[in-house]
Amino acid sequence: MATIIVDSRGTACPGPITDLIRAYRKAANGDLIELLATDVGIKSDAKAWCERTRNELVGITEDAGTYKAVIRIVSKRGMA
Amino acid sequence: MGLNIIMFSGTADKFIPLGVISQTAANLGIPVSIFVTGWALAGFLKDGQKNVNRMPSEFADMVPMLQKGLQDIKAPSWYEMLKSAKEIGSVKIYACSLMTEVYKIKTKEQLDGIVDDIVGAASFMQQSGGGQIIFI
Repeated sequence: MATIIVDSRGTACPGPITDLIRAYRKAANGDLIELLATDVGIKSDAKAWCERTRNELVGITEDAGTYKAVIRIVSKRGMA
Repeated sequence: MGLNIIMFSGTADKFIPLGVISQTAANLGIPVSIFVTGWALAGFLKDGQKNVNRMPSEFADMVPMLQKGLQDIKAPSWYEMLKSAKEIGSVKIYACSLMTEVYKIKTKEQLDGIVDDIVGAASFMQQSGGGQIIFI
């Protein structure tokens, strides 16, 4: 199990979720993805993406204009 | 069920939602099918991106603000958004055969490489059966 940092700061919506998917493709179940973004849309979009793809949104925090969405990957098939 | 977009408009402002909606749907794993017709086909000719530069005259006073704002947030172009959408999701771009005839275009090789095929309106309607259709 790994923690993958995805730095999408400075990228406009819907870019951060696309960056998230690029990381998701290489991730395995149990991995954590920490998605960093400055676009405020990430707060709602990380949640929507997790609902849609059945992954787990661990939480979203904000620090000085940077949002960090932590997502646990649980929906991959054929990969333990 | 997928999302189907009829892309008709030719002004640059309308290409922004085309890119954003397509990339967003791809982000969520929703298949997208884009039917390019009318003025929009100019943007999908070879080197067609340069044809997408007109802005609607009724917003002329706001255009500089929009362009600067997009630049400031480093928003990707509509074309880059479509390319991202195709990379991460199932996004097909079809050129309308009526409009390609108007341009005397016979094969998809004469269009931008981002275009998947030239099709008739019936095939687009048929394969979108029941899904949402957005007209831009």
